[in-house]
Amino acid sequence: MDMIANWLGNTPDFAVPFALAALGLILTERAGVLALGAEGLMLVGALAAIGAQLAYGSHGVSLLLAMGAAAVVSLLFALMVLVLRINQVIAGLALVFFCQGLTGLLGTLLEWTNKPVKGLAAVELWPLSELPLLGKLFVQNPLVFMTPLIVLAVVWFLTRTTTGLRLRAVGENPQAADAAGISVLGYRLAAILVGAALIGLAGGYISLLSTKLWIADMTGGRGWIAVALVIFARWSPWKALAGALLFGCIEALIPQLAAAGVRLPQYFVLMTPYAVTLAVMIWVASGRHATGNQPGALGIPFIREERR
Amino acid sequence: MSNLNAIQLSGVSKSFDGFMALSQADFTARWGEVHALLGENGAGKSSLMNIAAGLYAPESGSLLINDNAVRLSGPRDASRYHIGMVHQHFKLVKPFTVAENIQLALPEGPGNHAFSGSHRQRLAALEQRISDKAAELGFSIDPRKITESLSVAEQQRVEILKVLLAGARILILDEPTAVLTDGEAERLLETVRAFARQGAAVILVTHKMSDVKRFADRVTVMRGGRTIQTLDPQTVSVPELVRLTVGESAPASEYQPAIPGEVRLQVRNLRSKGASGHGALNGVTLNLRAGEIYGIAGVGGNGQSELANVLMGLPEPCDGTLELTGFGDLRRASAEQRRELRIAAIPADRYGAALAGELSVAENFGVGQVHSGRYGSFFRLRRKRLEAEAAEAVAGFDVQGVRSLKQKAALLSGGNAQKLVIAREFSRDPQLVLVHSPSRGLDVRATAAVHARLYAAREAGAAVLVISEDLDEVLALADRIGVMSGGRIVAEFDRPADRQAIGSAMVSHDEQDHAEPVAEGASHE
Amino acid sequence: MNEQVRPVMLEQAAQAAKRPKQPLLSRCYALEIRQQLAWHWQAVIIGLALLLGLGVSAAILVAAGVPAGELLNEFVILTVFDAQSLKAVLFQASPMILVGLAGCMAFRAKFWNLGLEGQMIWGAIGATAISLFEVGPPALRLPLMLAAAIFCGLLWALAPVVLKLRLKVNEIISTLMLNYLAINFLLHLLYGSWKDPKSSFPYSPQFQTFERLPELFDGISAAVPLAVVVALLALWFLGISRAGLYLRFVDANPRVAGAVGVPVQKMIIGTVLISGAMAGIAGFLVTAGQEGRLTQSFYQGYGFSGILIAFLARNNPVAALVVALLMAMLFVAGRSLQVFYQIPFSMVQLIQAILVICVASSDFFIRHRIRRVQGGES
Repeated sequence: MDMIANWLGNTPDFAVPFALAALGLILTERAGVLALGAEGLMLVGALAAIGAQLAYGSHGVSLLLAMGAAAVVSLLFALMVLVLRINQVIAGLALVFFCQGLTGLLGTLLEWTNKPVKGLAAVELWPLSELPLLGKLFVQNPLVFMTPLIVLAVVWFLTRTTTGLRLRAVGENPQAADAAGISVLGYRLAAILVGAALIGLAGGYISLLSTKLWIADMTGGRGWIAVALVIFARWSPWKALAGALLFGCIEALIPQLAAAGVRLPQYFVLMTPYAVTLAVMIWVASGRHATGNQPGALGIPFIREERR
Repeated sequence: MSNLNAIQLSGVSKSFDGFMALSQADFTARWGEVHALLGENGAGKSSLMNIAAGLYAPESGSLLINDNAVRLSGPRDASRYHIGMVHQHFKLVKPFTVAENIQLALPEGPGNHAFSGSHRQRLAALEQRISDKAAELGFSIDPRKITESLSVAEQQRVEILKVLLAGARILILDEPTAVLTDGEAERLLETVRAFARQGAAVILVTHKMSDVKRFADRVTVMRGGRTIQTLDPQTVSVPELVRLTVGESAPASEYQPAIPGEVRLQVRNLRSKGASGHGALNGVTLNLRAGEIYGIAGVGGNGQSELANVLMGLPEPCDGTLELTGFGDLRRASAEQRRELRIAAIPADRYGAALAGELSVAENFGVGQVHSGRYGSFFRLRRKRLEAEAAEAVAGFDVQGVRSLKQKAALLSGGNAQKLVIAREFSRDPQLVLVHSPSRGLDVRATAAVHARLYAAREAGAAVLVISEDLDEVLALADRIGVMSGGRIVAEFDRPADRQAIGSAMVSHDEQDHAEPVAEGASHE
Repeated sequence: MNEQVRPVMLEQAAQAAKRPKQPLLSRCYALEIRQQLAWHWQAVIIGLALLLGLGVSAAILVAAGVPAGELLNEFVILTVFDAQSLKAVLFQASPMILVGLAGCMAFRAKFWNLGLEGQMIWGAIGATAISLFEVGPPALRLPLMLAAAIFCGLLWALAPVVLKLRLKVNEIISTLMLNYLAINFLLHLLYGSWKDPKSSFPYSPQFQTFERLPELFDGISAAVPLAVVVALLALWFLGISRAGLYLRFVDANPRVAGAVGVPVQKMIIGTVLISGAMAGIAGFLVTAGQEGRLTQSFYQGYGFSGILIAFLARNNPVAALVVALLMAMLFVAGRSLQVFYQIPFSMVQLIQAILVICVASSDFFIRHRIRRVQGGES
């Protein structure tokens, strides 16, 4: 019983980075830009958060700087895909490798590696926190409680505002958006920056609030899982949140099993998130579940005077 | 009629990658008139109008609106000058509703600011405005419908509403009647003429003489990127207009009656689901005989593309059979088997389904026969032999503009690219030739050359099936004509066919939805 | 009627003309697609991009604490002109060549094989299994290890390509996920049943002498000729056999390829399996050639290097040989920087990424033309 309570209680902590990264990806991809760079931008956010925390010691500032750092690095990506029109797959991969190299280098040179920082005190949502079994769900750090609000804000923005409508138009049919006088590159740039900021926040969450220290390559493929998550959430923020909770559950289960003394081969247990990602991708692809809804111009660069 | 010019383009030039699309073009439209811009495919009409709509930036020349020189920085700028263009390929966001599509295009201003009022409220107000405007123009449009679910004619009306609600007074329509039935086209042109009579300027880009003769107040003829002449259509004859547009009299090929042989291909009851849910093919049935050209006519979007895909073995899920005499169901044949069977396919989408533009002329020619072992075994491709035969074919089929066999196929002009496809497909003396829109985007000479090849194939005993949305082409080529409407063959005609009868069969589907799909005498069962 | 329209129009046109808004930069210069550019111009543009990348990398190295005067020394003189280092470079180059060729193969089939590391790990596991379980007589041991490596690497590439063709599962994600599975399985073996009983470190027992790649002459490992032979096979496959032409069509436009009679699916599956097999051989070369045992991080850096080599070499096997050699120099220099200047090895990855970005960007200038248009004049 205790184990289940602990498990549920830990789930949000693992789910939040997936949810935030997926949201950032959805924003970028809804504007028609294929964003494979999440893994790299999360690393940048993670390193920046720890660095800022070591320097200033304020969680709020650190998380903001994590967002800012990821957004700044994403300018490089924007330059590659919007101005230089590099294949978006190549640009995304190059960005991941660039960020892995950069964060690994800076983490060591600035001596930020393996330096623990203080976490953020948990907030209790009384009286929900008194609930049996579910109580621990409502004792979390503030960012956990903010995540559903951020999802709500993104949904509202995409479906209930004119700017959101334009952003989706740019992702669906940039030629139409352009003919309607919408700045395709402007919207795409904004979507890349804001998306990167959210992904950076996800990275900052992992380093600053979850593990509370920086190690090179600490995201361990979570950025890629987020990319997969967006595919099977069919670019819907709510479904992405649900998927993030699923992965949070799985990740939260691993330490619980170990603590409960269940003896499983450790490395097979560590494989589960990746195996589940693969399994879900196959399941989604093989069934006739929700298909479609993919932004029509995803991954296609835009040029006005193109002519073949 | 006032003499005040609405829009004046003078000395406009524009090139794409070294290709001169426009050179020193001049064009003037006045308030209150319907001004037709007439020319063949590739004459530069669309490029010129894209400049007027702010989509392209010209390399030289000037643009005057109301006799004031202006410079457009983009489509939104054009909209500020009250210029609106309905493009040939609609600029609609398919998953959006009609109202959402229109809202995108509206200029920001009082009542349509991104941060004023709730999005829902503004959308509701807009829906009302759309309904009002639609009623005024005599359209019926549900603004809440998803654009994807609308017919082509309805989508076009959305485009027109879009530019008019954005305040357009200079309305440019690029080939508006190409996708419409005769009746729909007539209604549309009546509407825009009424709009011009209220004092607006309407520019009608077209290649159809009849549109010009019946609805235009003035016509400007374009050819090869130049504007040739501006005339009053009532004072020139159609042959004279044709002469001006093509620059030479169209060579009429001599028609020889066919001597049909045995049935070579039996198409039985092809059915498929279209992208939008309602059937794209609703039971296509026809017989194709050796030594004849069977033409399929119809208004675009009545299942022709789907039929062409099924016939040519391109991915297209469907039910039914394609019985090739002496083989069996063609739908089970792999692409390699189809080559062994000497089936030639000339798809409409040249660079999407027939040629790899990035690869060389020689490779594009040779790839069709590599599998047969003609150019060596798997272990060694005999490139020398391939190139020698490619050179021979390029000369034999008169493919021009080939500076080197290693040159990218994408650099060929439309006509020469088509000749290259034919050279490859005809290199093994085909028994069955499947053709879709063979002269799309081709000039008169290239079209004549392509038609001559098809006749030659027929003379050599091949069964030839031509699908074309251009009725004139079908009438010129075919020995028998099947009319396609609503995803099936609704009528068949022998040569010489009555144009009027074919025309009414093309639109018959609307009225007689329950008609039996052709009880043709040609049924060989 | 016109009288109503005219004043309104005139007023608005005049108003609009007064707007102080300057035309955007994009209207002064139009961007268009260029179909063909002479190859020597292409070479010049790529060369400039590489120089830019090297310049940026040098600046970063200097900022990280390497004396500017030492750069040339570390990267060129000490790697090429020193006999011992040159051997190290050649040694390092052989697995590099194989992952590079593996990348070339997969990309030719339009398949983003990011699973080179996983396939390498499985190749190494396969080879090590032959050694551990002493399969076959000693004389046949090495060939058997090679065969096992080929088989295991190929097998690990099978699932993603089939999933892509049958179910349209994105291969970027599936191959990456399979990497993580392979890595964890490797750790499972090395911390578990395959751990060397003679030591407390997580690696397998030392291979026996006949299970290690011999030195042929002058200290050059047999790995080097093996890599060259595989490169020649790749060259035959892509350049001489029928497959090369087929793959060019698959790459250019799969729909056209299918329509003109290219066996698209067979070509893709076959080529991706070859890619996996080559990565497997690379795993075998590292374990049986360099390390002499299975270790826990032998694969690191190779996955990205393979993709980078294929990209810089434009999927050409001969060019891949050259680029792999340069990458090997970079690796060797990177290790010495680690020792002498305490610069983390991530620097190598950063430099690689910068080079990729620069060369990818150069493509823009090859494929586009920027021209001044009239919109810009006053």
